[in-house]
Amino acid sequence: MQLGMFIDLAQGYSEANEILAGRVPMAADTVTLAKPGHKAIRIAADGSAFIEGFRCDACGAAFPEATMACRACASRAVPHPFRAAETGKLFTWSVVSRSYPGIAVPFVSAIVDLDDGLSLKGTLRDVAPDQVKAGMPVRLVMDNAGGATDKDGAPYVGFHFTPMGDA
Amino acid sequence: MSDAFIAGADMIAFGRYPDRTYFELGAEAALLALDDAGLSILDVGAVYASSCFNAQSMLGQKILKLVGQTGVPCINVSNACASGATAVREATMAVRSGMVDVALAVGAEKNPRGMLGGAPAFGPPVEGLFGSESMPAVFAEAGMVHANAYGTTLEQFAQVAVKNHYHATMNPKAVYRKETPMEEVLASEMIAWPLTKLMCSANVDGAAAVIIVSEKKARELGMSRMVRIRGSVLTSDPYESRNPEMFDASSVTRLAAAQAYEMAGLGPEDLDLVELHDCFATAEILHYENLRLCGEGEAGRLIDSGATALGGRIPVNVSGGLLSKGHPIGATGVANIVEIVEHLRGEAGARQVAGAKIGLAHVLGFGAAAGVHILEKA
Repeated sequence: MQLGMFIDLAQGYSEANEILAGRVPMAADTVTLAKPGHKAIRIAADGSAFIEGFRCDACGAAFPEATMACRACASRAVPHPFRAAETGKLFTWSVVSRSYPGIAVPFVSAIVDLDDGLSLKGTLRDVAPDQVKAGMPVRLVMDNAGGATDKDGAPYVGFHFTPMGDA
Repeated sequence: MSDAFIAGADMIAFGRYPDRTYFELGAEAALLALDDAGLSILDVGAVYASSCFNAQSMLGQKILKLVGQTGVPCINVSNACASGATAVREATMAVRSGMVDVALAVGAEKNPRGMLGGAPAFGPPVEGLFGSESMPAVFAEAGMVHANAYGTTLEQFAQVAVKNHYHATMNPKAVYRKETPMEEVLASEMIAWPLTKLMCSANVDGAAAVIIVSEKKARELGMSRMVRIRGSVLTSDPYESRNPEMFDASSVTRLAAAQAYEMAGLGPEDLDLVELHDCFATAEILHYENLRLCGEGEAGRLIDSGATALGGRIPVNVSGGLLSKGHPIGATGVANIVEIVEHLRGEAGARQVAGAKIGLAHVLGFGAAAGVHILEKA
């Protein structure tokens, strides 16, 4: 397939590589806690952010959210949380050229299989569309969720994927 | 359990109805189907009414207020794009169990305008930050799984739209009745690679209804136009490791197809035509394999061969499909069954599949649900 018709997606995403710390000083006597911008994001006490998955002890299946029993095997042993790997492989993708009003396009919507069995949907950045290939190694990067803030001005923490190595 | 038969089936022309309510559309379809069966609302023992967006408004009761308040139970169902098949399946079970001799299944929808898709549960807007939740992107990603595994080409996906738009030129109830050659499909606006605008379903309003009767009632009415329900199955998505981060269109459909073939005592080789859920062109390619119309990885070659076009070995979506007949969400699963019934009766006009005896209707609801019905000329 030919993807040359799309512009370079890397353009405009340079700011997104800034990794956001969890605490942003707002004034001398206050701090505003950054908030997870995605269900799987956790923010540690030191402000570092990571992806949390849940794994079933009985069958090993991994999910990006807490469940009350195992989604795969129905074991009543509650799946336990784990810190997800930060590397993985691209499973599938689409270059999105039309989205909802106000959403910047194009961007690459990607499904990534992390190395520990957790799969996530996210945006793949810093890659030209014609270089996107299934199976390419990618890295999970925590970011500032495009600078989004909640109604009180608290920043969000997000994530995206970038190509790794020669890809 | 006794057999169940479809005694009446009809739909309104799909399109936009800005001056009518969804329950008016549903009531019109119900009356058309009753007239087709030669029955009255007074004969109906239970009503199963489907709408993805308005089931909670007591759709069935609203319809009865327009056509006759008989006091029978109304069961209002919402099951995404499988809502209509859910209503038909539940009506079938009501008849097969002996609870009623006549059941009405009616689907009605006025689709919201614009691109359909998910809304964020919390936090910043998901779209663009964490991939895309739009339906085109979701089904584009599913299609790319096939492309990555088997080398399926943009042109093979596009050919689905060429074929279904051609089929719709012969369906007076389709919203788009205009041929779209390959160049036009490829040149239309790119939405989410590999889906162009003409490879996305038509967002419209519509309604469709079927009257399901017991064998006893069928014999009373006469068997000449009866259609026997051989298989009627509804499934939810079984566990798959990437689902729901990646919507899995396939496993839920495969489960439903396997159960429906088993219930019918039939296989894909027995089918004369199929109406399947071509919400996007990529989906039709996936469902060729999910419904076992061809082997794994062969769907690209199947569309290339012309086998799924009218006149081919196994015509698919001769109604024009969701791509060009239109996709009023809660009515779609009933309308697919109406189409099969018309062919089995030999009443499908210019698009008639010659000599059709057995057909399969499939829908897929995001979230997920799959409905498969296998119908046979009685």
